[in-house]
Amino acid sequence: MITFVQLLVSGISVGFIYGLIAVGFVLIYKSSQIFNFAQGEMVMFGAFLVWSFLNLGIAPALAILLVLAVVGLAGYGLERFPLRPMIGQPILATIMITIGIGIFLKGLALLLWSNNIGIKYPDLITEKTISVFSVPISNVTIGIFFFGLILVILLSLFFNHSRTGLHMRAAAESHQLAQSMGIRVTQAIAQSWAIAAIVATLGGFLLGYIRGIDFGLIDIGLVGVAAALVGGLESFKGAILGGVIMGVAQTFTGGYIGYGLKEVVPFLIMVLVLIFKPYGLFGLVKIERV
Amino acid sequence: MRRASGIFDTSYIQDMTIFRTKYYSAGLAILILFFFILPVFVKDFWLAFISSTAVTVIALQGLNILSGYCGQISIGHTAFMAVGAYSSTILAVQFGLPVGLCMPFGGLGAALIGLLFGLPSLRVKGYYLALTTIAAQYFIIYLIKTPFSEITGGAIALHVPTLKIGSFEFQTETHFYYFVIAMLLLMTFFAKSLMRGHIGRAFVAIRDNDIASEAMGISLYKYKLMAFFIGCFYAGIAGSIWAAYSRVISPDDFTFMGSIWYIGMLIIGGAGSTLGPFFGAVFISALREICVIVGPYISSMIPQIGAQVSASLVEMTFGITIILFLVFEPRGLSHRWEILKESYRLWPFSY
Repeated sequence: MITFVQLLVSGISVGFIYGLIAVGFVLIYKSSQIFNFAQGEMVMFGAFLVWSFLNLGIAPALAILLVLAVVGLAGYGLERFPLRPMIGQPILATIMITIGIGIFLKGLALLLWSNNIGIKYPDLITEKTISVFSVPISNVTIGIFFFGLILVILLSLFFNHSRTGLHMRAAAESHQLAQSMGIRVTQAIAQSWAIAAIVATLGGFLLGYIRGIDFGLIDIGLVGVAAALVGGLESFKGAILGGVIMGVAQTFTGGYIGYGLKEVVPFLIMVLVLIFKPYGLFGLVKIERV
Repeated sequence: MRRASGIFDTSYIQDMTIFRTKYYSAGLAILILFFFILPVFVKDFWLAFISSTAVTVIALQGLNILSGYCGQISIGHTAFMAVGAYSSTILAVQFGLPVGLCMPFGGLGAALIGLLFGLPSLRVKGYYLALTTIAAQYFIIYLIKTPFSEITGGAIALHVPTLKIGSFEFQTETHFYYFVIAMLLLMTFFAKSLMRGHIGRAFVAIRDNDIASEAMGISLYKYKLMAFFIGCFYAGIAGSIWAAYSRVISPDDFTFMGSIWYIGMLIIGGAGSTLGPFFGAVFISALREICVIVGPYISSMIPQIGAQVSASLVEMTFGITIILFLVFEPRGLSHRWEILKESYRLWPFSY
């Protein structure tokens, strides 16, 4: 019973991280109808970048803020080239452009950090075990749980109540309509890429804090993509819920069945959901006309 | 397509002929002759390069049929190659069958598994289908690594018996070179013929708009699954040839990155044309070799950068190449080749 609760809590806290990555993915899809297959690489690259900045010798909070500013700017720039020419192109082309970005990021990371194997972040909080209702749980897990929760709440407040968030939601609805109402659609798309990059970096940082920083984070970032599909591509709450489902499913299969299946189970869930409910749990059902 | 001056197509059969003029046939004959006598002149390094590129082209022809012609994007192609490689090798090892005989069965095994993973294509399409093929990639490799590890050898390498046809053993690089080139010719011919007929036309119709083509009486159920069957059959054949060639296979030969490389090659070569896979595979393989050669020089000049300069250089150039091609020439090298041929025929007049 105690292992059950432990697995559930750690599953939910990892699930929030997946949910964050999924939100970045959903954001880009909503604003520009592009599937960002580079999400995994962005997570990995962000994690390494945070590590480098933390080693500069400045205050950790300042270092993380600095990284977020850098990746935000980079994400903003990505919209101009190569993504803007891809609007209206066939699906194969838009898939490949994000994959190309991903491969480039991976190559750059190999160039910069391939000497640093088995690295970890310096301890930002001292790890100890506290018991919650007589179940021993690490305080790092709880910290990540609340950090993820706060981020999710902040993001949804931003989208629902700020002016920029409103512009981005309008651009997601229809490029043409938003443009005619005086919203700069290209800017909204660029902003969504910037936020997606920031969110991916935060996800990478949190994941890296739990399991160490390596190139395996790419595959884990892809789990976030699967979570977005399970939740449905039009909905942020679906993305978070999908992430939690993936996290819990992973920790349970890892805890009760075996490590090999743990890596695969999110994709299996995704295929099953896609077969029986093709637009995810909260996605909009599209009716296609010729 | 325009013909040279003075040649007129007066029937559809003439219009669709591959070798319309005697120059085409002569060109092909010269090319085959060139590849036939090549081993006399060049070192084993080049033969190995050509053989491995030819295997890549065979796999790419399958991906081209599936993604280029039929529009069902697959980012799990190496997993189907793995199915082909493992099923042919296991047949050979467990039942003592000759490896050459196992190859068609390897292709068939991959095709059947492909059929299974093609089933979601009836419900979802586009991006969603691409993601289910990613799932196929991870799941198949997991199956090879863990539940079936007793017969596949798990994560450790599996040894492949020597390839024999009759009593002839394929031992040297040259032997394999001839075998692979022959297979390449056969498979390319098969792909080209298939895509010129009604099947190819149905595939193209489905790629351009599946709902409209269904309304025109093309059975999506039949043709989408057929595309998966044929595409994965090619992958299986390529995988089993690769297994016989490299003599050792392990799950790490068939990675997700590998699948991405294949689809990148298809884009760069030009999806939806028989020549595309040739251009893509040769271009990217050459680029990779150049990066591997150049990498050590760079790392000796700037010693403080990471140890894997070649690997990172390969990835970075590949990523940039894909991006540049998609922005500036989305139809790939084969389209450039068509333009070149056209302007050669019309030279010096550009109309």
